[in-house]
Amino acid sequence: MSALIRAIAWGVVGSVLGAAAVVIVRAATGQDLLDFGQVTLAAYPLGLAGWLLGIGVWDQWAREWFGLPLRHVPPHGWRRYFAFTQDHKVIGIQYLVTFTVLLLLAGLFAMLIRIQLLRPSGALLDMNQYNTVMGWHGIVMIAVAVAMVMGGFANFVVPLLIGARDVAFPRVNALSYWLVPPVAVLLLLAFLAGGWDSGWTAYPPLATVNADGQLLFNLAIVTFGLSSILGGLNFIVTIATLRAPGMTWGRVPIFVWSVLAASLLSFTVTQFLAAAMIMEILDRVAGASFFNAAQGGAPLLYQHVFWFYSHPAVYIMVLPGMGIVLEILSHFSRKPLFAYRVAVAGFLGIVALSGIVWAHHLFVAGIGDEMLLPFMITTELISIPTGLVFLSALGTIWLGKLWLRTPMLFALGFVFNFLIGGLTGITLADVPTDMDLNNTYWVVAHFHYTIMGGEVFAIMAALYYWFPKITGRMFNETLGKIHFWWMFLAFNATFLLMFWVGLNGMNRRIASYPPELTGANQVVSAFSFALGASFLVFIVNLVWSWARGPRAAADPWHARTLEWQVPSPPPEENFPRAPEVIGHPYDYGVTGAAHAAFAAPAEGGGTR
Amino acid sequence: MRHLLVPGAAFALLTALGELLVASVDLLPLNPAMAREAVVSDDALRLLFALAVPVGAFTLAALLYGIWAFRRRGDPAEDGPPLRGHRAVTVAWLVVTTALCLVVIVNPGITGLAAMAQSGDADLVVGIAAQRWSFSSSYPQHGVTKAKELVLPVNRRVRLELTAVDVVHGVWIPAFRVKKDAVPGITTAMYVTPTRLGSSDGAVNLRMQCSQLCGLAHSTMTMPVRVVTDAEFQAWVARNKG
Repeated sequence: MSALIRAIAWGVVGSVLGAAAVVIVRAATGQDLLDFGQVTLAAYPLGLAGWLLGIGVWDQWAREWFGLPLRHVPPHGWRRYFAFTQDHKVIGIQYLVTFTVLLLLAGLFAMLIRIQLLRPSGALLDMNQYNTVMGWHGIVMIAVAVAMVMGGFANFVVPLLIGARDVAFPRVNALSYWLVPPVAVLLLLAFLAGGWDSGWTAYPPLATVNADGQLLFNLAIVTFGLSSILGGLNFIVTIATLRAPGMTWGRVPIFVWSVLAASLLSFTVTQFLAAAMIMEILDRVAGASFFNAAQGGAPLLYQHVFWFYSHPAVYIMVLPGMGIVLEILSHFSRKPLFAYRVAVAGFLGIVALSGIVWAHHLFVAGIGDEMLLPFMITTELISIPTGLVFLSALGTIWLGKLWLRTPMLFALGFVFNFLIGGLTGITLADVPTDMDLNNTYWVVAHFHYTIMGGEVFAIMAALYYWFPKITGRMFNETLGKIHFWWMFLAFNATFLLMFWVGLNGMNRRIASYPPELTGANQVVSAFSFALGASFLVFIVNLVWSWARGPRAAADPWHARTLEWQVPSPPPEENFPRAPEVIGHPYDYGVTGAAHAAFAAPAEGGGTR
Repeated sequence: MRHLLVPGAAFALLTALGELLVASVDLLPLNPAMAREAVVSDDALRLLFALAVPVGAFTLAALLYGIWAFRRRGDPAEDGPPLRGHRAVTVAWLVVTTALCLVVIVNPGITGLAAMAQSGDADLVVGIAAQRWSFSSSYPQHGVTKAKELVLPVNRRVRLELTAVDVVHGVWIPAFRVKKDAVPGITTAMYVTPTRLGSSDGAVNLRMQCSQLCGLAHSTMTMPVRVVTDAEFQAWVARNKG
């Protein structure tokens, strides 16, 4: 905790120094002392640096740059979770807890949105509050969708799955996590700075002239982007270089493949998002006029750069979700993953295509007509590699011995929901139908089917699946099943009807709507409250089981992958006896097959 | 064999049921098509639904039958067959999904793009100026400026030229199924041919609504739309000239 207090203190000192520098320069040049943009731009980087140095970058990293000895006394027990801890398992739990809290908070904001839409004129919020609440729900859910799996599960599980001692760069890993709290703080402070009314997409020129809260949003996204890039880099190197002896590319668990695919994207495209944000910041604070048409700027430029990241970003969210689902389907069908290599090809095909489809978000934005056809074609082609993932999923359960435990139910729910998300997406890739449906509730329903019905269901599957490994305790199966059915039914009831609302003339991001749509919106809201309530079952189960659940065995699911071959929770060094991979991870039903052999205890100690 | 017949029957049944629904249910009861472009869009939508039905039915039949037929109670006592893949199934899957994708690209994709015909000449040019948080219309061929409603003669092809002075807005008329953003610094255009008489008073979706988040009062940024006869249009122009 002392590191946390020091981090806050150094952060405050840094911010004050930065702010003071601006005030002094402005005073010396005879201007008004305070300028929110300039003060913030000087205070935030110094404050962020102070925060990071204080939490552990100075003691565990920067001292050696000055020839000083490192000071690294790893804390034990619960204090590890509030410190710059380098153990990937601790960092995974830090991510999981942080983003579960953010998921629930942003879910509450969704409830506010649905309360507002109970009445056509708006039932709760004024227009500025509504816009900020809607933007907050959007951006925080995006962050949850990006980081819950890639920061949480990937961190905890990938080194175990590949038989490694840790990730390639443990300090970079800790840095990635400790960049996150400032993001949450900035987004909360944005409420106090007038909010922001441009949603999570932050289109200029609106986002360069609106309230000061927008600047805090932009800085938050740049910071989050840095965290995401560093995470991607770390997983690429980890997976490429730290696999246990014998783990050839053909023996890498499918979840690891999906994390690699998503990491390739987050490492290579997140820069574009940061660039878009920085250009907006410069327009606002320094009059750079990237997007100011009156001074030769181009508002559409932003939309291209933004979606060049933000479309691949949906695959950063959904690829690891697919990986989790295929992983679970194999273990709980007691069958080898069907067409493993084809599924990997599907992932890589999605990665390749994801970079050349962004303009489908701009079909009605005013881009040249010449762009419509090529981007319609590339977008629709994505259905082919995605179809391969469905082939693998259906082929895996076929003729299997299905064990319908909670993780399996959520994985099967993913297949159902993502099917609807995928089929409705075609109408948005098709220009003639997109001209009407773009920016309507049809779109809202579609992407909630892919991101919530898809990825969040995969996150739930993963939470239940790896809960025994992470906590060392079993969850309550009955509550888990109640949670699944409640959430699955309420989710589908909420969002199926939303398609209808969109078809019948309701555009998205509005605080009020035509009275003719009142009834349908009230039904959507009612089901959405049921959906929100389903998370109470989840919280109760999670909290109670973590504290009081029965002790979990090393391998409660009788699964073959490496993480289940060590105790629950795993020891600090991961593998007391070094693993050597000798076969496929999914060889269920193959007589005499084994995934790994372990060195004799005498040789153990986990030197990797 | 049972594992092929039962899900095969379920696939056929679900497909028939789905196609019946697509053909018979009006999914847009509050939003009848009121322009030529709206009919193109609705036809494309119905075709996409019709194509999606067998895909969805196949996946659902396989998924639900798989869950029902292969579920086991209690702990797994034994493993399933060690079936790592099936070359013929994979190749067939790839061929079918690729073929379906190509069909969708050609029709309604390429054909629909041509049918929407969003370029060329028009009978009437109307300028739409978007500004936070209202629209105004102007008729340069008729000397009408800054009108607070959009009045269009029925069955005439209209080019709407869109401009924005402050931030990006979107111009959407739900009953026409067309929208396009109005972007500061450039003029964008969309084409529409209204085919039914009506007004915002009688048809809720015959309205212009801002479709691109533009800040505080985005929700209420609307303008009434009327489709009238040629004679009524000429009279309206005469009244609003100058």
